[in-house]
Amino acid sequence: MKEFTITFLPEKKRISIDRGTDLLTAAIKAGIHIYNSCGGEGVCGRCKVIIKKGTYATEHSGRISEKERKKGYVLACRTMPQSDMEILVPEESRLGDIEVLTEEAKAKRLVGLYTPAEKVEEAPYKKGLKVFKHGPLSTKLSLKLPSPSIDDNCGDVERLFREIRKDRDIPIMQMGLSNIKKLPRLLRESNWEVTVTLGNRNGTTEVVMIEPGNRDGKNFGISLDIGTTTIVAYLVHLKSQKVLGAKASYNPQVDFGEDVISRIIYAEKEKGLERLHHVVIDTINSLIYSLAKEQDLTLDDITAVMCAGNTTMTHLLLKIEPSYIRKDPYIPAVNFMPVIRAAEAGIKIHPRGLLCCLPCIGSYVGGDIIGGILASGMDNMEDLSLFIDLGTNGEIVLGNKDYYIAASTSAGPCFEGGGLSSGIRAMKGAIQSVSIKNNKLSIGTIGKASPKGICGSGIIDTLSMFLEHKVIDRSGKIKDNKIFKVRKVDNVKEIVLVGRQKTETGKDITIDDNDIKNVIHSKGAIYTGIEVLLKEAGCKLSDLKHVFIAGGLGTALDIKSSINIGLLPDLPLEKFEFLGNGSVTGAKMSILSSEAMEKACVIANKMTYLDLSTSSFFMNNYSAALFLPHTDIELFPTVKKIL
Amino acid sequence: MDRVIEKWQDKVSEVVLGATKAEGGSRDKAIKIGGGTGVYFLQGEDACPNLPVIAMEVWDMVPESWPESLKANFNDALKDPVEWAGMCVDKFSADLICLRLASTHPDSKDTSPEDAAKTVEKVLKAVKVPLVVIGSLAREKDNDVIVHCTEAAKGENCLFGIAVQDNYKTLTAACLSGRHCIISEAPIDINIAKQLNILICDMQFPSDKIIIHHATGALGYGLEYTYSIMERTRLAGLSGDRMLSMPMINFVGQEVWRTKEAKTGDEVSKDWGSAKDRGALLEMATAVAYINAGADILVMNHPKAVEETRKVIKELCIK
Repeated sequence: MKEFTITFLPEKKRISIDRGTDLLTAAIKAGIHIYNSCGGEGVCGRCKVIIKKGTYATEHSGRISEKERKKGYVLACRTMPQSDMEILVPEESRLGDIEVLTEEAKAKRLVGLYTPAEKVEEAPYKKGLKVFKHGPLSTKLSLKLPSPSIDDNCGDVERLFREIRKDRDIPIMQMGLSNIKKLPRLLRESNWEVTVTLGNRNGTTEVVMIEPGNRDGKNFGISLDIGTTTIVAYLVHLKSQKVLGAKASYNPQVDFGEDVISRIIYAEKEKGLERLHHVVIDTINSLIYSLAKEQDLTLDDITAVMCAGNTTMTHLLLKIEPSYIRKDPYIPAVNFMPVIRAAEAGIKIHPRGLLCCLPCIGSYVGGDIIGGILASGMDNMEDLSLFIDLGTNGEIVLGNKDYYIAASTSAGPCFEGGGLSSGIRAMKGAIQSVSIKNNKLSIGTIGKASPKGICGSGIIDTLSMFLEHKVIDRSGKIKDNKIFKVRKVDNVKEIVLVGRQKTETGKDITIDDNDIKNVIHSKGAIYTGIEVLLKEAGCKLSDLKHVFIAGGLGTALDIKSSINIGLLPDLPLEKFEFLGNGSVTGAKMSILSSEAMEKACVIANKMTYLDLSTSSFFMNNYSAALFLPHTDIELFPTVKKIL
Repeated sequence: MDRVIEKWQDKVSEVVLGATKAEGGSRDKAIKIGGGTGVYFLQGEDACPNLPVIAMEVWDMVPESWPESLKANFNDALKDPVEWAGMCVDKFSADLICLRLASTHPDSKDTSPEDAAKTVEKVLKAVKVPLVVIGSLAREKDNDVIVHCTEAAKGENCLFGIAVQDNYKTLTAACLSGRHCIISEAPIDINIAKQLNILICDMQFPSDKIIIHHATGALGYGLEYTYSIMERTRLAGLSGDRMLSMPMINFVGQEVWRTKEAKTGDEVSKDWGSAKDRGALLEMATAVAYINAGADILVMNHPKAVEETRKVIKELCIK
């Protein structure tokens, strides 16, 4: 096969490639990171490079202007070298390196509030939820074995199995060689009194470990929600089913891209996947460590981890190549991930502890949504219900116990406090409710602490209140008004909600025109997504009996405010139910009950995915939803009355 | 077989342009547009009380960008907006004059708002038909210019433009205080068009003084996009959407005389036809398409195209 040498300028990196390799692939091979959001399909037009020397064949693209073409611009992904070449990669085509990100930029992105592990409140537990039978991912069983004799002379392993089977009906059991090797001495030294940990591994039962003495109370698990923007961990006592602690952190992967697509692109870079995997594992380990420390546990006491994350997050957690998720025909490596040892993924708990992931449905709907459905109890209902996850991907699911249609609206991180000038996650000191009485503002913060920023429920309340008091017009632009002073910073209008004298951070808490625009884009995507799902299912809004809302917006979401801004459809308030973080709740339910885990797989199998990006109905109605509450006010009769 | 006649819930709102002495202005007569109760020219369905009207474009400077074949119709009148406007009304029977204050553009002559207002006054004095006045499309400058002009034309009930989503407040306020009508423009997006109308009405501007412009495409240059958006707007309006039931305007001349077909002279192959007729034909064809899409005001340039379009309107309206 003929080889060509390609030199990339200005760094003069050389690489030899086989004939028939395109320039984009060559660049990636050479470690030059070129932007391409379509995955080399010639569609996005971002991988522009300039040919300096050499002959080549290229497909012409509308993405390159006549002017650029004359200067030698081509799309790297559509260009095949036919000789040795010199290629200039212009700055605008380069994917920003993480090293390039200044400390200041990083600090700004995290608003200086990045704390590796900090307390969050446990999601409210839903009333009347079907209780799944207790049967955790790993169970500790304390046993007193009869000591062997001439009459009772079976082997140590058989003796152990026999004793286990007296307690539970487990015809097939597995046990690793390392445990068997330890067994003879351990049994005798502990005077035949041991605690075995039984793990539920893909339908069979494994003796995960054996400890001396009675330790069946010392069995803990971690349920995890790995979100695109936020990671939440619960420490669960597997025997008593109690949640002992809850902690959260930003997903540090945001440094490598705000959304799943840009992270997949980053993972395709050299060492990209490695980095993404390590930062998320480090964060998880520090969450687990601080949860354990708080309860005076050792990491060995933790025997199982249940994780709920979207498909990309699950891939990155396990360091599985996510590339094909974003490429036609959008196939993930795994949807139903078998149970593995947590240590294999790098999670530090007991070295033989298990890691289980809630199943994913496809590339763009993952285990976090399955967790949310479990938490909502939709899987048990005859009535038509709607599930909305107000996270970065903004997934919505319509269905009942028989079927589910899911869509991902790519709402963006603003309901988790991302992308807003004073946005923070739902944490202590986050403004979560806002109201105006007699032209005076009153705010409520989480934990009644002094305010640090605004979280999702706070921003929804604020916008609703702004709209009602005519502080903004219906397109979301800040107006001159009687209640707030409006100031201009870099030609953008903004309002100071809390002055710097009264904030925890010493900085003004503000909302500007761009923040509002962000929220409007997010809420518009979710509302339009709901319209599309209903249309596809041939249903009307009035057919909905329940609307479940999940997401880390804060402990309280004001439904009326959400309707006022057009995020949620104008239905009677009693139809709505706020689940809090449904994903971690679902993970908790599944770590505590194998029945719940089986149900999760059933839900995953009954779910179909609807691609909104190819829906012309979505595109058409989206711009109608970019208004407060909506261009068609008749859809919001209760809001019409107050405007 | 019985004909099925669609009965619509609502009608297109009726807008009055211009004010007579009795109404506080100095026009000979006011012009009514809109008011239709069905899809235009659909026999039996349309009670079309007011026919589409034609405004002829007049600039406050010589339109250098116009090709000879167009300029030749006006000769020296192009140098003086007053004379030019008079010619359009007297010789070519324009229903309205659309005064384009092109010279106010900062990159052109940067004429001051005060001088622009004077031009408006002069034209108002010279002709007695209602006036459409638009700026130079340089937004910041337009805000200034239009405020002065609305003041100068107070009471005359002119149609001022062009308000867009990012720049409507000043214009709306000016038209409100001068009691004029306003053109609300959105870029071929029915939702943004509606949003803009809501925003304008939220400023207490009466909805029966708004004219919608969806952007105009010349024939062969995206006409079909505008056409279908205009149809959708009309159907939505007739179905009861009050924020889309306004009459519509199209700047036909402006778009047609930018195309290479209209601008190229006789140096091309004979298949193109003679330059003298080519542009006018294209302008007429575009205008006729827009009439069918539901246009109420056509802003046009070439006298021959105006004449022919008027004939088509009359023919279409025979019941």
